[in-house]
Amino acid sequence: MLFKKQVLFTVFLSCVFSFQAQNSENLIPKDAVTVFSINNINLFQKISLDELISYDFMYEVHQELFDGSTSGSTLKDSGLDFDQKLNVFYGKAYKSEISGFSFGIKDQQKLFTVFDDFDLIEKMSDAKTKVYGSFFNNLIIRANSALLIRVEPTMDYISEMTDSIWYARGNESPFDYFNYDEEELNILDEKVFGEEEEPNEEENQLFPDASEDPNVKNYYELRDSVQLVLQQAQLDMILNELLVLNINLPNSDSRFANQLTHDSEGIFYMDNARNIDKANGLWYFQTVLPSLYKDVQELYAGNVILGDIYLKEHAVEFDITAEYGKGLGEIYKEMNDSKFDRNILKYIPNNSSGYFSYNVNMQKAYEKAYEIIMPILSEEKNAQIAMNVLTIELLNEFVNKDALFGTYKGSMFGSFNGFKKIKTKKIEFFYDEETFEYGERVAEAEEDMPIFTYGITIDRTDIPEKILKHFGRLTSKIQNKGNYWIFENAIFDAAPLYMINKNGLFILTNDEDLAVNHSDGYKKEKLSRKAGRKAKKSGFMYANINVAETINRFPMDVLNDRQNEIIQTLKGKSGNLELVSTKTSVKKTQFKIKYTYQGDDTSGKHLLDLINSIYIVTK
Amino acid sequence: MKKNILFLFVLIFSLSSCIEILDDLTIHADGSGTFRYNINLSSNKIKVNSILALDSLDGQKVPKIEDIKEKIQQFIKTLDAQNGISNVKVEENYTDFIFKFSCDFTNVLVLQEGLKETIHSLTKEKKATELDHNWIAWDGNKLTRSTPTITQTKVKEMKQSDLDLLKTGSYTSISRFDSTVEKFTNPAAILSKNKQAVMIKTDTYSLKENLDILENVIYLNSTKN
Repeated sequence: MLFKKQVLFTVFLSCVFSFQAQNSENLIPKDAVTVFSINNINLFQKISLDELISYDFMYEVHQELFDGSTSGSTLKDSGLDFDQKLNVFYGKAYKSEISGFSFGIKDQQKLFTVFDDFDLIEKMSDAKTKVYGSFFNNLIIRANSALLIRVEPTMDYISEMTDSIWYARGNESPFDYFNYDEEELNILDEKVFGEEEEPNEEENQLFPDASEDPNVKNYYELRDSVQLVLQQAQLDMILNELLVLNINLPNSDSRFANQLTHDSEGIFYMDNARNIDKANGLWYFQTVLPSLYKDVQELYAGNVILGDIYLKEHAVEFDITAEYGKGLGEIYKEMNDSKFDRNILKYIPNNSSGYFSYNVNMQKAYEKAYEIIMPILSEEKNAQIAMNVLTIELLNEFVNKDALFGTYKGSMFGSFNGFKKIKTKKIEFFYDEETFEYGERVAEAEEDMPIFTYGITIDRTDIPEKILKHFGRLTSKIQNKGNYWIFENAIFDAAPLYMINKNGLFILTNDEDLAVNHSDGYKKEKLSRKAGRKAKKSGFMYANINVAETINRFPMDVLNDRQNEIIQTLKGKSGNLELVSTKTSVKKTQFKIKYTYQGDDTSGKHLLDLINSIYIVTK
Repeated sequence: MKKNILFLFVLIFSLSSCIEILDDLTIHADGSGTFRYNINLSSNKIKVNSILALDSLDGQKVPKIEDIKEKIQQFIKTLDAQNGISNVKVEENYTDFIFKFSCDFTNVLVLQEGLKETIHSLTKEKKATELDHNWIAWDGNKLTRSTPTITQTKVKEMKQSDLDLLKTGSYTSISRFDSTVEKFTNPAAILSKNKQAVMIKTDTYSLKENLDILENVIYLNSTKN
């Protein structure tokens, strides 16, 4: 009996303390799709706030927070409780987009030196919970935890509600405003250059005028009002779930709750199954083919990425697990059931700055995908889908799949081998000594070019050979040089592209030395055995990058803005980045990314940089 | 248009490593003449093509070749309509990236005024004070040339890290006359064998370090009746 009382008392105490001691992770809304939770925020004590707000994951909420008054301050001065987790989250559903972070509070006074633009919203606050607001963001404080959140209704939802109200009021299409009678051009009225033109007020006005009666709104005014109302409604709904109904991400998703129990420095969570709503390309399915969209959603059910971040001495490690549902799992398992092709190691030089290998079996993946997805598509009663299904089924019968997948098996590799000077031609001016009149002549030139090699594994070497032979007859720019093919001026109309079709590989490269001198492989200069074994032992994917040599020298010009964003966070660093994967099962695949670095930057700084890169990739 | 012009400056200076610029001014006795300006980027074909494949560079939107062609046509049309300017031509070579501009003028003042008005008109920028400065003066017997202020401004804005790249670019300035040249003030200038043309050739690094390097006052032999 005494023992039972002691247990009950302990349970009671736990309940009391858990009620009083609100953990920051309990303030993560259930609609969050991507979450970084940093366990050991002691690491960031020395990070300045100015530096912190430069990160993309801080972008959504930093505008009003850090207005210069916090310049020179660190996180340590901001009143945060370093014994609680710092959780950064993002989520997007059809109706709204949420972003923000939750954290523990040690000193509210210090906290409000950072959040100095926030005003208390009395109607939303009570004895237990205080809600503060600024223009875009809200700060919620409960016990010793806080949530900074931004909730924005999506444009699609705003437009849907606005259109509904607009047309319900009997209004015409708002876009007719832009229709105007085109006057016939009179050629006698041609403009004369140099004459001052009076500004055309009609042309300058992009939107209809506001009316004098405030109750009569034009479409855009109505939309603004709807946006404000929806924003408040979404915020109320989310806060009601979190604070009244106690519905949050940890108690909605046991996978996330389980991740939180890990003793790593930080954890990562991304629910791909809910992320699919965000995929812009699928809006067509949502609206026109809702039942197909539902089926695709079911295929993605259970698709989640979970990760742990570990900080070691001069190293940061990510352990990532990608889990998926049965349907996708079976496709991935077949796809990744591929033997490592040792031939690729011959074409990666031992001084390569960065290389990757990717081993998949496209034929098995196709056959399994056909088996799983075709029955889903065949059930659709939509005429267009039915025609597409018929086309796919006929192609499946008529196309020689062995030839197709023999030509493109799916496995590939690539390497970046630094910069080399390549020969080009230029035009130069020359001057007559007598008169200084000038002419033009062609001269040899050299330009720095980043050297890449990319190859795919193939069984049917005769097919690319056939294609190249045919194109070689059509243009003199494509020539067979025996051991390789050359496509003159293929790259930016200035540099040649070399193609090597040997050893079960079809290789594209701009490295003349590889094509001319090493078309059978680098032999002794190839990747070391130790490095090769690491690549072979890794599952379907392996990558190794010398950060200083590759990323710092990577030609940013060839990347788009988004890729540049990711690379920028790693620029200026030195060290090695290695990605390995495990064998894929029906339920999951695991990856490990290990970043070993030199230099004096703190581990916390490196960690933030890597978190930022992953945030950009997953956003 | 202003953004396109700014982009062109960014492009030219980011490619300064192997850019060849030639400005060629011919002045006749009556003050009329021909102005030619050539930009040769053929040494940088790979880089130019890779930049044109981008969406933006250094915060500036990268225009497509069609946009550039359209703007050049606008420039020709506008400049041709200026007082005292005629025969405006631009030869565009988008394979080797060589652009050759030429126009005839009745006097050097209308040339400078015409260029200024054209740029103002196309950029809608009324306050580009860099264009106000006159960089050519001619009194019938003496030609004074200096570096345009807009060039000085843009060169000063260049990053320190790009300085080494400037050493292989070149800038050539030629002044031609109907009569022979008596003397000139710039020690770096050379006289043609027929004594009717003066050339200053420098690299873009030296131009950056010393903006006065192109300044020259050229005196002609006076013709006596």
